[in-house]
Amino acid sequence: MPPASAAVVLQGHLHPAVLLLRLLDGLRHAALPTLLGALAEPIFLVIGAAVFLLHVGYGLLRYLTFQYTLTTEELRTREGVLHRQERRIPIDRIQDVGFESTILRRALGLAVVRVETASGQGVEAALDSLSRVDAEGFRESLLALRSARARMPSCDATSDSQGVPAAAIAAPQPEWTVFVVDTGMLLLRGLSDLRFGAMAVAAFGAYEIADQLGVVTQLQGVGDSFFGWLSRFPWFIAAGMLLALVAAALALSAAFAAVGNLLAFHGFRLTLRQNALCCRFGLLTTRQKTLPRARIQRVRVEQTWLRRLLGVGVVRADSAGAGRGVDDEAPGGFDVLVPLARAARIDALLPAALPGLERAAAPVRRASPRLVARLVARGCIEATCAAVVLWPLYGSAALLGLCWAPIAWVRAVLLWHGIAFALFDEHLFLRSGAIGSYQVFVPTAKVQAVSLRRGPIQRLLGLAEVAVFVAGGPPTRVPDLDLPTAMALCGDLADRAAHAAWREWRTVAV
Amino acid sequence: MNPTEDVGGLDPVREAALCSGERLEARVVVLWLLTGIARAAVMSFAMIFGVDALRVEAGLPSWAADAAWVLSALLVFTAVVAPPWTYATYRFAADDRLLSMRYGMLFVEDRRIPVPRMQHVDITRGPIERLFGLATLVVFTAGNEGSAFRVPGLSKARAEGLRDQILRARGLDVV
Repeated sequence: MPPASAAVVLQGHLHPAVLLLRLLDGLRHAALPTLLGALAEPIFLVIGAAVFLLHVGYGLLRYLTFQYTLTTEELRTREGVLHRQERRIPIDRIQDVGFESTILRRALGLAVVRVETASGQGVEAALDSLSRVDAEGFRESLLALRSARARMPSCDATSDSQGVPAAAIAAPQPEWTVFVVDTGMLLLRGLSDLRFGAMAVAAFGAYEIADQLGVVTQLQGVGDSFFGWLSRFPWFIAAGMLLALVAAALALSAAFAAVGNLLAFHGFRLTLRQNALCCRFGLLTTRQKTLPRARIQRVRVEQTWLRRLLGVGVVRADSAGAGRGVDDEAPGGFDVLVPLARAARIDALLPAALPGLERAAAPVRRASPRLVARLVARGCIEATCAAVVLWPLYGSAALLGLCWAPIAWVRAVLLWHGIAFALFDEHLFLRSGAIGSYQVFVPTAKVQAVSLRRGPIQRLLGLAEVAVFVAGGPPTRVPDLDLPTAMALCGDLADRAAHAAWREWRTVAV
Repeated sequence: MNPTEDVGGLDPVREAALCSGERLEARVVVLWLLTGIARAAVMSFAMIFGVDALRVEAGLPSWAADAAWVLSALLVFTAVVAPPWTYATYRFAADDRLLSMRYGMLFVEDRRIPVPRMQHVDITRGPIERLFGLATLVVFTAGNEGSAFRVPGLSKARAEGLRDQILRARGLDVV
């Protein structure tokens, strides 16, 4: 049972226009069976009708029974007739409130409210959909409640919380604009999007489908006749035409990426209010996201090699429960803080996401030069293994595998030049990348655990890697430090994490 | 003693000799040997007989059977060598602030988990572990990747003692 003191702040139902959305949903799902029924078997007409009625009926029931309640303690949602389901999310556990509205919902003046917690499963509760005014009101109330709780730590589950003044909830808070993207930058983001891997995957998928449909043999015929036609020209003209084709394909994919980025991030605006970052963006589907600064576990500044050449970068933030890998993007770009900006601009706006970074004064340190020795040693071992394994198959051509060793050396030198780290007052900074540049900022107060790791070659060379675990995403690894440096860093981080955790405990347990 | 300073002052060359901290129960070696050899044996049998059965039909090269034997021998060898080695390198220490552990044969891992960062503390005991009177302490921090830290091969009483010590350090009453 909720504590008797938990006053209801906001209560409501979904917007009635949702029914129209459900109706359209039903129509869409019933379209295929109905088409089949009209063309072939009449029984599909019945199935189509059943699907339609089920969808609309379920939508209607859900609409009628769905209710959300925001109290000073928690968010409750309730739905269902036979299978009653109630969900409660304590306000302190809510990580993030976001809005999403597709073009249809926008036409109807609706928005989906996404409530995320640290559970790692992303969206914990989605209110689909509220009117825009209600959605805004919902978020305002939630933000105000949370900042009121932060000001009064005694408002914890045990004590009474009727002391939250209603005025504090209603009063709008000042908002600072941190970053606004311009269209040129978005176009550049699209053009510098190096998704060759994704393109290859897509091409492979298309080939698979074509193969199943039996198109491949025809395609092969077309391809053969094309190459036959091509072979009539002198080789340099043929090569030129092939190059032009490849260039056209690249230009096309770049154009697609540019348009896609424009659609996704149009009018991106990052603002700061009351210690929470808010982003809003999107042309067709608009999205809004609210991320309290205290929930940020890690901020990444990413420059692929092309973007590094152009002097621009992307900023992302991991909040707690982000279960994805470092390279994955959150669906819908929900982890993006800055879609693309000049490096100097990024440096200037980072303190908005990482308070305390502006006071950072510690010297930036390099990894041990023995890193190069380790990577070259590993490269030599790998090259030898490759040559030995390939020898029975390819004979002396397997010696080409030894070329890997000098490549590994060049890569190692580049990597060593790329790596830098620093332990600031409140943040751990790490930069890495051989050609691109990837910076990571971890607030030391958010560190969950640290680990020092040494492989066999690292032990010979007296090196160690420090892995820093935070609540969002995979651990951050600081590679190849001298053993004493690594041990000092490890101990320092563990100490700071323990102190920060004790501080949090005290404020909660007052 | 403060484990941070303790480990921080280590000379990498003499680290093995200087390593302080608690060791696991010695009988965990027997348990690891039993389970490891059983697993290696099953995998070896599957591999050797699988290659033997498929050699004719799938047209595997003649050296496939030899390779299977060599791999099996390697598996069994690792299963025999790994437990005492791991046992010899495993150290852990716990105080009111940190749980530290260090282990590993080739790759040495040295982990530190601040006690106030721990979300919950479990003790798991599998059927064979129970037979040996052993328990594994599992400590969870927030987050989902690599957020579980395990200390295997503790006696039941020691595992419970560690758990109670951690809970007490967090200010929770142990009933």
